[in-house]
Amino acid sequence: MTRKPAVCLQIESALVAAATGDADRATAARVESHTRLCAPCREDFVRYRAVDGAVHAWQRAPAPMEEVARAHLVSRLSDLRRRTLAYGIFASPLGPMLIARSEEGVSLVEYLSGGRDFAHSRLKSVEGVEALPDGAEIEALHRELLEYMEGRRTRLEWPLDLRLARSAFHRAVLEATARIPYGAVRSYAGIAGELGKPAATRAVAQALRWNPLPIVVPCHRVIGASGALTGYAGTRVTLKQRLLAVEGVRTRRADRDFRIEREAMYVRARQDTEYCVPTCGSLAERPLAELTLFASRERAEATGLAPCTTCRPDLHPISR
Amino acid sequence: MDPGRFDALVAAHHSEIYRYLLRATSRGSEADDLAQETFLRAYRAHRTLAPDANARAWLFAIATNVAKNHFRAESRRRRAHTAVRATLSVTDGAEPESETLFNEARVRLDAVVAALPFKQRLAFTMRKVHDLEYDAIARSLGCSAESARAHVFQALKKIRVSLNGHALPPGEC
Repeated sequence: MTRKPAVCLQIESALVAAATGDADRATAARVESHTRLCAPCREDFVRYRAVDGAVHAWQRAPAPMEEVARAHLVSRLSDLRRRTLAYGIFASPLGPMLIARSEEGVSLVEYLSGGRDFAHSRLKSVEGVEALPDGAEIEALHRELLEYMEGRRTRLEWPLDLRLARSAFHRAVLEATARIPYGAVRSYAGIAGELGKPAATRAVAQALRWNPLPIVVPCHRVIGASGALTGYAGTRVTLKQRLLAVEGVRTRRADRDFRIEREAMYVRARQDTEYCVPTCGSLAERPLAELTLFASRERAEATGLAPCTTCRPDLHPISR
Repeated sequence: MDPGRFDALVAAHHSEIYRYLLRATSRGSEADDLAQETFLRAYRAHRTLAPDANARAWLFAIATNVAKNHFRAESRRRRAHTAVRATLSVTDGAEPESETLFNEARVRLDAVVAALPFKQRLAFTMRKVHDLEYDAIARSLGCSAESARAHVFQALKKIRVSLNGHALPPGEC
C-alpha cells in the first residue's frame, strides 16, 4: 500500500468534512481546488459522499419498539410525578422556612428550627415522597408569603395539596381552618363543633399541631376556649402572636402565653349574617366555641357580614 | 411547576433520544431502559434548568451520561463474564437481538457503527443522525469541540473502510 503524499494527509479531515456536508465555505473551496488536481483524493471525496448518502438513508430507518418505549416512559414518569414534591428554602421574618409543592398544589410550609438546610425538614422522612429542589416557582410563592407576613397581602390564593394530612379527620380540620377569614379567630372547640364532633377539641388541636401548611391553612387563627393562644409550631407561640398582630388581632401577655383582647373584637355568633360589638345581648357570656371574633369592622364586613341592627357597630364602634 | 412544560419536552424529544440510545447501545431493550433513565433524570433536574437553556442539547448530554455509565457497567460485567467463561470453558450462546429486519446496507451500517469505539459512536450519532452542533456534542462528551470533530472524522474513516465494496457505488476516477 502506497503512502499518501503529505499534502493529501493534511487535507484529509477537511475533505471528509466537505464530502459529508460538515465544512464551512472556505474549507469546501480549499478541498475543491485540491481534488481538482488530485485524482486519488477526488476518488476519496466521491466515496465519502457515498458514505454520507448511506448514512442519511440509515438514519431514517424506523426505530424498533419506539412506541413501547414511550409507553414505558410515560408510565414511570407519571409515577415519579405523583411522588415528587419540589421545594425551596428561604429566609423570612419568622426564621428559615421551606415551601414544597406537588403538581396539584402547595403541600408543605415548614418553619425550619434547625437552620436553612433540607436535612432539618420533615420532608426528609416522609415515605413515598421524592423531594427535589425547585427554582423559580417556589420563589414566586416565597415572595407572596413575605408580602403576607409584612401585611401587604391578605390572601394566599394557592392551590393546596393536603397529601401530608395524616387522616381524613385531620384533612377535615385543615379544610375548616382554611375557611377562617383573615383578621378573625375561632376556638379549637368551635372547629370541633363545626365538624359535628364537639367533644373532639383535643383531636382538633392535635390535627393543627401537625398542620403541614401553617400560615396558608391559618391555624394561628385557632385559639383556646379561654382566649389564650395556647400552642404554635411546638413552643413558638410568639410566632402565632406575631401573625395575628399582622392581621390586626390584638393580644396581651398572660404568663408565658398570650391572650386575645376579646372585649376589643367584633363578634359573629354561629352562622349569623350580622356582626356585633362584644357587649351586644348575651354575647359576652357565650363560650368562644360559638363565636368568630374579628379584629375590626372592616375584617368582618370583608367576609360579607352586615352590622347588627340592634347594637349598630357601624354607629357605635368599639372605643379603644 | 408547569406540568405542561415537561410533557412538551417528552413529546418533542423522546423519539430522537430513544433513537440516539438505540445507536449508542445497539439494543432495543437497553435503549428503552436508558431513555426512561434519561427522562426521569431530566424530570428531577428540569426545575433548575434556565428558561433560555437549550433543552435539546441538555437532554442529549443527560442521555450521553446515562449511556456512558451503562457502557462502563456493561464492560465490567462483560469482563466478569469473560473471566467466568475462561474458568468454566462455557461457550457464548448469546444471540444479538434482531427486533426488526433491516436491508443489507442498514444492517451493515448498524454493525459498523456498533463496532465503533464508544465515544466515536456517540459523537458520530449526535452529529450525523441528530445534527447536533459540535459545541453541544463536546459538552455531552466532556471534551473539546475539536476532539468531538476528530471523533466524527475517525468514525467516518472507519465507516468508509468497512463499507468499501458494500452498499456504495464504485468510485469515479
